[in-house]
Amino acid sequence: MPASVSIESLSFAYRNAGTRVLKDLSAQIEEGTFIALMGHSGAGKSTLCCAMNGLVPRFFRGNYDGRVTVEGKKVTKCGIVELSKMVGLVLQDFEAQLFSTNVELEIAFGPENQMLSREIIRERIDRYLSFVGLEGERHRDSSTLSGGQKQRLAIGSVLAMEPRVLVMDEPVTDLDPKGREAILSISGRLRDQKRTLVVVDNEYENIIKADRIWLMKEGEIVAQDSSASILSNAPLLESCGVMAPPTVSLFHAMSWPGSPFTFEDAKSLLKEGNLVTRREKSGFEECHSPRKGNPLLEARDLSFQYPGSLVLSLRNINLVIHEGEFVAILGENGSGKTTLAKHLNGLLTPVSGEMLVESRPTRAYRKPELARQVGYVFQNPDHQIFAPSVREEVGFGLKIRGEKPGIIEENVGRALAATGLEGYEDKSPFLLARGERERVAVASVLAVKPRVIILDEPTTGLDYAHQLETMRMLKSLNEEGHIIIIITHAMWIAESFATRTIVMRQGEIITDGPTRRVFADERGLSETSLVPSALVRLSNWLGTASLTVEGMVKELQS
Amino acid sequence: MNVSLFQDHDSWLHRLDPRTKMIGAIILFAIILSFNHPLFMAGISLGILAAAFSARSLSALWKLRYILVLLVAFSSILWPFFSEGPTTIWYWKFLKVSRESLLFGIAMGLRLAAFVMTSLILLATTRNEDMTNGLIKMKLPYPVAFALSTALRLVPTFAGAGATIVQAQVSRGLDLESKNIVSRFGTLIPLAVPMFVSAIRYTNLLAMALESRGFTPDSPRTLYYEPTMGRRDWATLAALALILVVSLYLRLGLGVGVVMPGRM
Repeated sequence: MPASVSIESLSFAYRNAGTRVLKDLSAQIEEGTFIALMGHSGAGKSTLCCAMNGLVPRFFRGNYDGRVTVEGKKVTKCGIVELSKMVGLVLQDFEAQLFSTNVELEIAFGPENQMLSREIIRERIDRYLSFVGLEGERHRDSSTLSGGQKQRLAIGSVLAMEPRVLVMDEPVTDLDPKGREAILSISGRLRDQKRTLVVVDNEYENIIKADRIWLMKEGEIVAQDSSASILSNAPLLESCGVMAPPTVSLFHAMSWPGSPFTFEDAKSLLKEGNLVTRREKSGFEECHSPRKGNPLLEARDLSFQYPGSLVLSLRNINLVIHEGEFVAILGENGSGKTTLAKHLNGLLTPVSGEMLVESRPTRAYRKPELARQVGYVFQNPDHQIFAPSVREEVGFGLKIRGEKPGIIEENVGRALAATGLEGYEDKSPFLLARGERERVAVASVLAVKPRVIILDEPTTGLDYAHQLETMRMLKSLNEEGHIIIIITHAMWIAESFATRTIVMRQGEIITDGPTRRVFADERGLSETSLVPSALVRLSNWLGTASLTVEGMVKELQS
Repeated sequence: MNVSLFQDHDSWLHRLDPRTKMIGAIILFAIILSFNHPLFMAGISLGILAAAFSARSLSALWKLRYILVLLVAFSSILWPFFSEGPTTIWYWKFLKVSRESLLFGIAMGLRLAAFVMTSLILLATTRNEDMTNGLIKMKLPYPVAFALSTALRLVPTFAGAGATIVQAQVSRGLDLESKNIVSRFGTLIPLAVPMFVSAIRYTNLLAMALESRGFTPDSPRTLYYEPTMGRRDWATLAALALILVVSLYLRLGLGVGVVMPGRM
């Protein structure tokens, strides 16, 4: 097989940065293979992607050594148009990739730059819109598409240039399960067509079909092997900041033979080996119903409609949240999760019904007053960071409340300690890594000591180690008495941390109950296109009450 | 959130070549500048409204109704004090309002509204890419045309980011409802800094995305929606040019449509 992409002792350091992001990398991609890139954040995955299509070093300048060739041509020697026929790059942020006013023009943009004739462009639009399943949206304004559709359009618009190699940098991270499903089926079809495909993704479920996995750590490829052998090596994955398939960890911990990473494989291994006896599903409710304190937040028949919209975004929501609860809100994009959360701290007020905080309607509060009770951490920390130092950033909420410097100092210190940011006081928040900026945002809400903290997708953009760190921090805050409410697409986060799970669809609450009970009902979840993780499906099948590897091991061994 | 003005309908105005619409708008501006009598201005404004109606663009005007009303109101109230006419109808100390200046004020208000409405109809019926393609066809350098259309394109994006930033800061306790001017001034930095940072990040990503799609600002490219001047286009331009000639003749030759001679 000829090598489609060849990377030869490639090193790169961004301009004005001391350390090298890529350190003497060498690797080959054979034509028609599907490569998955995994590794902790800052391992150099995105930089490597950009090096393949020449954005490094043409767009991101710096110290470049070694070479990358695609089908024998050096990418640094190619023009932009020539390169677009060789390597297509799909970015994680689908908003910035779409700039045309309708779907067909978006697809046409690349071929237009390649100076193809209008007839050929029309053919390509037809072909690639149906390939990504958007043929019905041809004349729609791309800004009105859903997140999943936008990412599919972005992929289609890159494919329309017919590049030999397609590189996708975390294409599903920001998407709901339905959107993910669609993207994964596209990459499956690309794989069937024997196209060369490189995908960065840290969640093993998304790249099970890959031929090979490259595992990156601190600018180096520490392992490259078949996906089966990499995914079954839990210690290696974890040393690179990647989550190992929990089913693999469970099998190792129980000393069962085999390393399955799908539910079906695990089930058949257990059946064949007759390794375990299934239990009666009982006692889920008693042993896992969360302890309940006083009700703090209450929605009564709450409905909401955005001005100018024709449909209700929330319909007759009834909800009581008690002290001590750790709530996860799940659901597709546009199901009303964020809209509901914004009612809890009064950013939105209901069109009909009531939203009560401490038995008082939110509209009766002044907004800053409510912010002291209910803190809200937005999805993107960059939407709120503005101060020159972490100390001022975190102390901002207290300062505008007119607290004394001593109290500010004390609370800031405590918030930084709780978020693991001690020693960061005088650093500039803008220069921190994404995970650290996320923690600054949490700390700045925490400093005001709200009784409720709402977090909109607190773990997107973080690698496994940082996700775990963030969630453990939230858990300990919860144990100290804060109510934690998270909106998330990551099933394992809800499964392992939330005591209560709320599932939303089309502005309504479909399911609301203790997390264990909600995840036991796989059929009910599938109606909202949510699929529990392989571990939880295994736990349901085995009849264990726990949803974590440690808990299941304990139960199974007793 | 959708702040974009373009509405994808199929009307005669939508089908016109973008060049026709842009040149037509300029001719219309000249016609609007030809008169300063409120009745004439009202006639022109009604004509523009009729065009908006036929292109189903009234809802685009409705989006900016407050601005339109404010323009007419402010100008009708303020102009009379700053221009003088022969027939005084009211005075107090040094303030004087004449019949002519009052009418002139109303005419100016309508004129501003007519300008805004014309531009709105242009934006509501012309796709961003068509505008760019039209400009390129009129031999404008590609980078300039692209910069113009990107600027238009970014307005909704930045408006959306701005709304999120305001919400993020309010939920940290930023007080935007305060009546106190001094404390309100302090709210500027927490809003402006994230706004700039996100704008810079966004434009950087956009540049990356453009390059990965093979875009170079100064090389030629195919235009998938190639504008073509048809018979309708020439007819529209000829009609507008005729109206302009007649207007100029009325104004300059006959002195009709004026309350304040000697002013534009």
